[in-house]
Amino acid sequence: MLDFNLANCLTLAVIVFLTGCYGLLTRRSLVMILLSVEVMLNGVNFTLIAFNHFLWGTHEFGHYLYMLSIGVAAAEAAIGLGMTIVFFRNYRDISRERASRLSEGEL
Amino acid sequence: MSEVDLYNGLFSACAILIVVFSLMVVLARNPVRSTLLLIMSFLPTSLVYVMLKAPFVGILQVLVYAGAIMMLFTFVVMMVNPRPEEGELGHLRGADPVGTRLVHWNVLGALAVAGVVLVTLVRKAAESLPVGAEHPAEFGELSSISRMIFENPMENPLTVSFELISFLVLVGIIAAINFSRRDPSQKKGTP
Repeated sequence: MLDFNLANCLTLAVIVFLTGCYGLLTRRSLVMILLSVEVMLNGVNFTLIAFNHFLWGTHEFGHYLYMLSIGVAAAEAAIGLGMTIVFFRNYRDISRERASRLSEGEL
Repeated sequence: MSEVDLYNGLFSACAILIVVFSLMVVLARNPVRSTLLLIMSFLPTSLVYVMLKAPFVGILQVLVYAGAIMMLFTFVVMMVNPRPEEGELGHLRGADPVGTRLVHWNVLGALAVAGVVLVTLVRKAAESLPVGAEHPAEFGELSSISRMIFENPMENPLTVSFELISFLVLVGIIAAINFSRRDPSQKKGTP
């Protein structure tokens, strides 16, 4: 059984972050790449709350940073998914190989 | 069963669930399934947040993250309807399968090395830190967080930065609407 302490919380966050990294580097569809970024953000948010609980005690600065982080994540998701939809409308394909050949024109 | 044992057991179960669901998000071939699995991985995360004396953040995780942002993802996945096999690196059309598999293993190896180094460093650092902070009675609740952000607003830097985030989201909305607008010079009916 794992102890509920800072070291185990941070280890969990590192594992979740690296899982997201793996998805970011290996998945091909743009939606899945954005989803992997969300997994990485989840790992980072976890460290904020864990540090706040185990180290900072008196103030909720970590919780505040978490709120800023999900604000940025919401904006990122809105813009990224909007770009994905435009990309799909123009090229009928959302693979990252197609995205790296934007200069070749539509369809 | 003491409270410490209960927390350890709950944390172990949640940690396993989070890691398994996150891995399944990355490995699932069907994007719809990935999105729903990510929502599933947020639920144990929010339980751990509650255990970390952050109940309001746990609620935000479920309401905002799992409820709003992930629904946005689900809608987009259903709109663009990517083919399930598109997510797999090893199934590139017209690509050398041995080469892509090699890239796959290289990424995995690099991440494993990074993971071992990071976990060692992080655990060593965490053991040297002065852990065991005392928490006030209302720690992590909405009243305490809002007092920290909005108390004495003229001199509190947190108030300004918190309000600025709303501008960031507004800019995000305007940009997303602008992206989705069709070019008026284009003929109707053409994609």
